Amino acid sequence: MGTSVSSKDRIRAKLKEGRTVVRVLLAHPMHTGRVKDALEELIPIEFIQDIRCWRNEIEVLSMKCGTGIARNPYFSFQLAAGVSGDAIRITWVDNKGAKGAAETVVK
Amino acid sequence: MTAEMEQKFNQNRRLLLKAGVSSVTLALAVSSGLLLPRKVIAHWPKEAFSAQTVEMALSALLGKTEPIYTGKEVQFKTALPPSYAVNGASVPVEIQSDLEQIERVIILVEKNPVPLIMSAELMEDVVMPFKTMIKIAEDSNVIAIVCADGKLYSTTRFVEVDIGGCG
Repeated sequence: MGTSVSSKDRIRAKLKEGRTVVRVLLAHPMHTGRVKDALEELIPIEFIQDIRCWRNEIEVLSMKCGTGIARNPYFSFQLAAGVSGDAIRITWVDNKGAKGAAETVVK
Repeated sequence: MTAEMEQKFNQNRRLLLKAGVSSVTLALAVSSGLLLPRKVIAHWPKEAFSAQTVEMALSALLGKTEPIYTGKEVQFKTALPPSYAVNGASVPVEIQSDLEQIERVIILVEKNPVPLIMSAELMEDVVMPFKTMIKIAEDSNVIAIVCADGKLYSTTRFVEVDIGGCG
């Protein structure tokens, strides 16, 4: 997992009106490479590029991101149908090769 | 399975057997997704994320400039994004659409140094709304584009920001 900070990533999935609502919160600074730190030095660009999501081993979503996603990326979407016990899994990779993953089971 | 497909399958199976591929290797290949007829996931589109205008980002991302329909098919949720945001570093955006079989969702901020925020490829199971939080550098149009059935639909909202969110 490299320099993974996956332990801080959060994923929630619940059934609502026959659909599965998935919410994801990732722990990442999403540096644009244009911001200076306290010493007036540019903070190097560091951002999540790729986020992928699976439901029970079937890939449902593949997101390509730029630096314009806010710090600690949040996103939510819905999946048609779904049952209690479905496994929802996400993985991410940033521009430096750091990786993270999070998994949950639909309640 | 039609007779033709079955025949083809058997042929493939025979070829695999002929090539001396063990069932274990095959099982590994299947589980790793190598043999699944799934949509090919492209690499991170560097050119699209380097583009400095919405037009250039879209042509780099989609390969060609297609007509984009602006109607009621795709909409932002009320106040997501808000028309006025105090802090541009984190602005919520929620995209709603009743279109079926949505293949792709794209978010752009016209005046950002990098207008393309994200592009998501969706498999058929994914349905709207889609929500995320974005950065907005200065007062700008925020654009959402949805691709469904090979057609592009968009919606735009102008967002004023007090504190720019891109540094």
